[in-house]
Order: sequence, then structure tokens, then C-alpha cells
Amino acid sequence: MTAKSGEGRRVDVVVIGGDVNGLVAAHYLARAGRRVVVVQERREIASEWETGWVPPQIIRELGLATPRLRIEAPDPWITAPLSGGGGLALSRDVAKSAEAIKRVSPADAAKWPEFCARMHRLAGVLEALYLQPAPDVESRDVGELIRLGRLGMRVRRLGKQTVIDLLRILPMSIAELLDDWFESDALKGVLGALGVWHLKQGPRSGGTAFNFLHHHVGSAVGVFRPPRSNVREVLEGLPGVEVVQGDPPPARVVVSSADPKTAFEPYQAQLDPEFMRAVHNIKARNCVVRGSLGGTPPGAPQCVAPSLDYLERAYDDAKYGRPSANPYVETFGNEIHVQYAATVDSGLESRVAAALGVPAYQVRLQTPNGHLYHGELTLDQILFMRPVPGWSRYRTPVPELYLCGAGTHPGGGIPGAAGRNAAKVILKET
Amino acid sequence: MKQYDAIIIGGGHNGLVTAAYLARAGKSVLVLERRPRVGGAAVTEEIFPGFKFSMFSYVVSLLRPEIIRDLDLPRHGLHILPLESTVTPMENGNYLAAWADHDETRRELYRHSPRDAEAYDEYGHLMHFMARAVKPILSMVPPDPTSFAPGDLAGLLKLGKHFRGLGAERLHALVKLMTMSSADFLDEWFETDVLKATKSASGIIGTFLGPRSPGTAYVLLHHYMGELDGVFRAWGFAKGGTGAVSEAIASAARGFGAEIRCDAGVSKVMVKSGRAIGVALENGDELRASTIVSSLDPRRTFLQLLEKGDLPDDLIGDIRRFKFRGSSGKVNLALSGLPKFACMPDGGPGGRLHRGAVSISPSLDYVERAYDDAKYGEFSRRPYMDIVFPSMIDPGMAPPGKHVMSIFVQYAPYNQNGGWTDAKREAFGDAVVNTVESFAPGFKSLILHRQVITPLDIEKITGLSEGNIFAGELALHQLFFLRPAPGWAKFTTPVRGFYQAGSGTHPGGGIMGASGRLAAMTILKNGR
Repeated sequence: MTAKSGEGRRVDVVVIGGDVNGLVAAHYLARAGRRVVVVQERREIASEWETGWVPPQIIRELGLATPRLRIEAPDPWITAPLSGGGGLALSRDVAKSAEAIKRVSPADAAKWPEFCARMHRLAGVLEALYLQPAPDVESRDVGELIRLGRLGMRVRRLGKQTVIDLLRILPMSIAELLDDWFESDALKGVLGALGVWHLKQGPRSGGTAFNFLHHHVGSAVGVFRPPRSNVREVLEGLPGVEVVQGDPPPARVVVSSADPKTAFEPYQAQLDPEFMRAVHNIKARNCVVRGSLGGTPPGAPQCVAPSLDYLERAYDDAKYGRPSANPYVETFGNEIHVQYAATVDSGLESRVAAALGVPAYQVRLQTPNGHLYHGELTLDQILFMRPVPGWSRYRTPVPELYLCGAGTHPGGGIPGAAGRNAAKVILKET
Repeated sequence: MKQYDAIIIGGGHNGLVTAAYLARAGKSVLVLERRPRVGGAAVTEEIFPGFKFSMFSYVVSLLRPEIIRDLDLPRHGLHILPLESTVTPMENGNYLAAWADHDETRRELYRHSPRDAEAYDEYGHLMHFMARAVKPILSMVPPDPTSFAPGDLAGLLKLGKHFRGLGAERLHALVKLMTMSSADFLDEWFETDVLKATKSASGIIGTFLGPRSPGTAYVLLHHYMGELDGVFRAWGFAKGGTGAVSEAIASAARGFGAEIRCDAGVSKVMVKSGRAIGVALENGDELRASTIVSSLDPRRTFLQLLEKGDLPDDLIGDIRRFKFRGSSGKVNLALSGLPKFACMPDGGPGGRLHRGAVSISPSLDYVERAYDDAKYGEFSRRPYMDIVFPSMIDPGMAPPGKHVMSIFVQYAPYNQNGGWTDAKREAFGDAVVNTVESFAPGFKSLILHRQVITPLDIEKITGLSEGNIFAGELALHQLFFLRPAPGWAKFTTPVRGFYQAGSGTHPGGGIMGASGRLAAMTILKNGR
């Protein structure tokens, strides 16, 4: 599977980056008859798990549904401690969740089923947008215009309420959205956390409602946390492409799943300064530290974000360049997600341990290497604005270079979607 | 009893604009104003003997030129005096100034950062262009994106064409302006913190957001759209205060035959089988007209003037969700002399510091911290302030040798923890005065009288819900076809013959008058 070097052989496409998007792009290209070599950086010591929804199209088309593939979607999908003791456990079953919510707020419980249905419909619109290249609003091409028109009609057919929700909710803050619906701090904390997931914004910042919906894409009705899977491992074991380490062999087409800043670095001299400025302006402010929890992992994922104010205060610290004094902490199996912190400072592990109520030695955190999504999912950095305005179609000003990473449409948290979209464009264009 | 063609509820500038346009088209029009004077939030009052204040709204920049033209406002006494400069004192004793002379401003900026001086022109060009690009939308009745009616589809198509006509680069800039925070947007252009702070301050005015909150870049542009005699980004005072703007429009309306009645608060709109037939006044009188127009904010228009049964449930829900969250206060001072700012004790050549605005926005973090206080329900301990000395430009505002000082303050949350009390109001006033004192030592000894206005006061006096100066937040999800509610952004209401014309409708905010004009156009087109 892994050769020492790819040199001396003729290849059509070199894919730089052996993450899920890189591997997915490589396999789609290989299946279409291209000779593909994947160049993998030495892998960071990272979890075997990939968090995010893997589109079923990818699983089907690449034949990933082997017994090795494990997709973890726990039930309950989250538990949160309550201030008065006990906890709030939200299940995959909407009615069961409503029962649990009833104990903190009967009014919220009554609204839960409708909230879940409305959010799911909106996420469905995003899902449709995500499984194809971003709509090109500047295009003069008749085909693209027809596609745009169809997209518009498709959305309008979903009904008046969905269109209004879409226009109204996307630019909103998750706090405003949740305040419209619910009164329970605990419930709003759990849901609000998904709105700021991997985003250096607080729940009162506009656009966080979009981030919430983005991470709901692909989940079942009433489930507001992405699943995790070992899809990367499965892809690595899939025959058809050669994976090498070290220098890439020469090829006609180079596809990079690296973040855009890194990907363009070797080409800087030949690129327009305006373009490089746009690349430089990509906001990718990391604010999440991840790590592992020792001991027996808790049965269900845990969320420590007791209220929207708690999240907002955690963000306030980050705003002034400090790690959160009281961070938002979440576990999934023995994985820990800590927000907001860009690096692991001396007291962070003990603060996280205190939040989780475990001994400090059980918490091991790692300073990450850049933003996991290669660019924050803010409204100015999505669709035709991602990775930089006007270059959302995976091609770049460098004729032989394409991008396929999380920095491109549809962004992080949906492993493989960018890789699949990119491969389709590359197959059409090269 | 006299039967009018149209009754306008509320004599603020939008109500008056609607009245003037309707009267100009030959309708018999009556304006009903609850207060003893017209103007709403655009009033001049002699609060202390000899000292006149633009009590709430204090600068004019957004008033639509077509209104000035159509109503011939200069003939009715409108005279705009330019406000040419902005000085931002910094905490280290330095300052940043934007002067009337463009080259001088560049040189001033160069002192802080050669790179920023370089970027300044390009930035100015872009904003200028963007303001022009958005301008046609201000004079457009928003199409309904959920409707399949030919008129709406045509409107949407026109809108799409307009945006595509901008070209890729400008379209991208527009998307960024609509979605980014002003701090992030300015980060892409400049490095000087105080410059970014001062510019982004105009992005937070009237909002409950900080400079780092997405959505504030749009307000930046909204304020760039100020145009006077075709010059963009020219702010000014009306001679005689902002009340003079209202008076000029009222005079124009009367000239066209409109009748204006003050001390005439309206309690209800009378509805019969889904049609508005008249209004009931607070004093019990009833007046009839075939067209009733409310220029009040959406909450009062729909939830107070009408009965629940007059409206569909989803609209009631939408209006209840419409955000007001007033966040600004005002401190009006009568002074025995001009304060000396430590950064420029002599006020510059010709005392020009006092002829322009003084912005208390020394750094992005400063403004952001001011927001943090408000976010958790407290007024800012060290607030952002926009200070002007109207008596320097219009000497009639104060007795000879004395001055008036107008301080626009943010943030003062409407929902102050524990509620606003007299003591809290004074504490808020103290925070404002003490903060100014820290930039202008000795300033406090000049104060003869002080008036402190909280959002609650704004609500009580003008009626603006939660004291929001824009009659509803200018947030992306409350603009255009969502202002004030989806499906009801075209100045009509579910009650036939009842229209809305206030700043709570498109395009809203500032002394713009565009809402009032568009409402009048809609009414005239509908033929009643």
C-alpha cells in the first residue's frame, strides 16, 4: 500500500495530503482511469476517528460499506449536567428527548418536535448545496444559469415557511434563534455549543445559526451532534491508489487537500498579489484544543456548556487573546473537545478536568496544528466565497493546481464532500 | 365631521414625508402627533433656558436627496451646515484625525501607518462604489421572495441582474459587507488599531452588537450612504437642530394642504370587516378616513394599534420576534466653555476640533469591552461616544460665549439589570462624564446643566419601542423583504386600507425619509 517513493513512474495526478478529502478525491480520480499517487505528510498522532457526516454517496460509490467501517452515532447523543443535580440526556428518538426536556421545561418540550423538524428541513437545503460545486452566481454560462434557476425553484418548492426560515435564520446568531424557541438554559447551552463549534465567535454573533445548521447536515431529525467514523482508516486500506511519503513525482495535475495558505505557498511568485492578499485574508483562527480522556470513557457524550452566557463568556476571553477561564468542554468516547483555546496553557488541563469532574491526570490535551477546517465557516467564507471569492470551483489561478480540502466548499465537518466535488470538476476539466 | 382621504399616525419625519407626498398628489391628509411638537426623534428642544438641543437624533446625512428636491425643503427652511472632521483622542495622549481636506487626512494617517495611508484611498473608492451599488435598493419596494406573483418574480430578477451587473469583485465585496464584522472587514484593509476602532464604531451605532460581531460591516456601509447634495459621507447639522428638518418637512406638507394636529395621540385603528375605517384618539374622539398610515414602529403598529383578531397569527409571532433592543443613550450638556482635550489642547488651527466630531473610540478592544458590559445587562463603564458641539457651527443653539455639547453614547442596554431607575440614570451620566474627563481634564467644571437620556427615556418620550433609534435593529435578518416581517415588507398590512411607513420598514434607520416616501408611493399606486 505504501511505497517508498513514487519517482520514475508516469502519473496523471498527484494528490497532496492523505486526509479523507485527499483520499476521496484520489479514489474518484483513480476509478475514472487516472493514474493517481497520494503524497502523505507524516501523520500527526491523531485519533483514528473522523468527526463529521460522511455523505452516503461516497460510501456507496467508493464501496466503503465493508465490515471495517464503523460509524458511531451514540444514543443518547448528548448528556449535560444540570445545575440542580441530575442531567439532561437527549436521545435519537424525538419523543424520548421531549420527555427528558419536559423535566427542565414543559414549554420547551412541547416545541421540541417542531424545532427538530424545521431545522432538519433547513439542513436538507444545505445538504443539496453541499453535494455539488458551489453555485456560481457570476456565471454567464447558460448551463450554470439553468442550474441556479433549478436550485432556486427547488428551494421555493419546499414552501413559504422554509424559504422565510432560510433567509431569516442563516444570518442570525444561534442565541437569537434559540431564544425564539426555548427558555431552558441547559437546553440552549447544549444546542448553542453546536453553533460555535470550531468557530471563533460567541453564540451571540451573527452567522452562528448557520454554523449550527451546517453541523446538523446529514444527522437524523432531532440529533444535533455530528457522528464520528473511522472512514479515513477504511480509505487507507482501499486498493487503487498509491500512497507515498516524501517528494511528489511529476504529474500533469496536482490536487492539494492542504489548507489554501499552505497549498499556494510554493506558487507565490507566479500569483497575482491581489489573489495572494485574498488567500492571506482567509480567517482561520483556531480556537479548539482536542485531547483524550483517560480511564473508562463515559457511556454517552457529555457537554459542559450550561448556558448561552457561559459560552459567551468563554468566548469573551478568546476575543482578547486569552484561553477561556471556564471553557466549553465536550467528550465523545474518550475524545475531548475544548473551546476556546488556541494552545494548551499550563492550567488548561486542570480546568477541563474540573469542568468534567474527573482527576486532572486523566486529561491530556494537544495543541493543534492550525484550524481543523482550514478556514472558519462564517457567512463570508462559504459557498462561492470559499476558499477565496471567485475561486470556489476547486480550480486555482495555477493551471495545474486544484484544491480539494476542507478549505474549499462545502468546508470542514463533512469529510469527503469537498474531495468528491473536486474530483468531479477535475475529471471534467483535465 | 370631516372625512379625510388619509390619516397619518405619528408626526416623525417619515410620517411627515408620507403626508407631504400624499398631499402633493392632491389627497386630503391629516397627521396626528401625540407630543406637543412634530419630529418624533428628530426634535430641537430648549431643555435649559437659552440652550437648545437636538434632543435625540443629532446629525443629518441620510436624508434622501430626492425628498429634499421633491418637497423643495430648502425653501421651507432646511439648511445643512457641514460637519467636516472627526478627531479620536487616544489613551496615550496621541490622536487620529480625519479632516475635511482629503490630502491632509492622508498625511495624518501616514503619521500612524504609511501602509494604511496607501490603502485609505482604495478603501474609500470601494465604499463609495458599494454605497452607490446599494443605493437603488433604498428606493425599491422589496419583492417577496416567496411569492410567485409576476411582479415579485420580476422584482427578484431585476435584483439579481443588478447584483450581477456589479462585476465579480464588487459582488464579493458586497457579500463581505453584508456578512462580516466591521473589525474583520477593516482588518483586511488597515493595521492602525485606532483607525479600525473609529471606523468600526460607525458599524455598531444603533445595534446591540460589538465591532467583532458579524453583521456590523453592513451598518458601516449604511452610514456611508449618507449623502448631502450628492456628496457621499458628508455629515452635517441642520441649522436650528434636527428639529428644523422635521419643521421643514411639516411646512412642505402644510404647503401642499396637509393638516397637522399635535397633542393628538391615537389609541386604536378602527377596523370593520378587515378594512381600516378610522382612528380612535386617546381623548375618545374618532376620526374617519379611507386610508390610515402608521409611522410608528412595527411593535406599536401591529400589536398596539390593532386588535389581535385583526391579524394572522404568524404575523403576530413575527412581530413579537422582531428585535428592538435599544442600546444607545444620549447625554446633552450645557457648558460654560469649550473643553480642552489633552491630545489637542488648543483644538487645532481655528479650533477645528470643536467644529467637527470627537469620537471616543481609542481602540477596538475599548469598544468591544464597552459592548461586553451591555451584553450582560450593564451600561458601559467606559462607553463609546460620538461628541459634537452644535453651538460651534450654529451659534443660535446657546447663549453667547456658552456652548452645547451633544454626546451619543453606546452602550446603554434597554434591559439594564434591575431596570432603569433615577439613580442608575445618574450613574450612567457619571460614567459618561468621567470618561470624557479622562480625555479632557477639567471638562467637568464646565458643566452648567446635564440631561441624561436612557433607552427607557427614549421609549417613554418618543414611543420608539425599547428605545431603539432605528425603530427596530438593522440586522441582516431584519432588512429588506424581512423588514418588519416576511410577506409584509411592502408597506401594506393584512388590514385593507392600513399602511406602515416608519423606519421599521424598508430601508429604515437614520433621518432618511425613504420609508415614508416609498409608503406614499405604494398608497398612491394602490389608488387609495
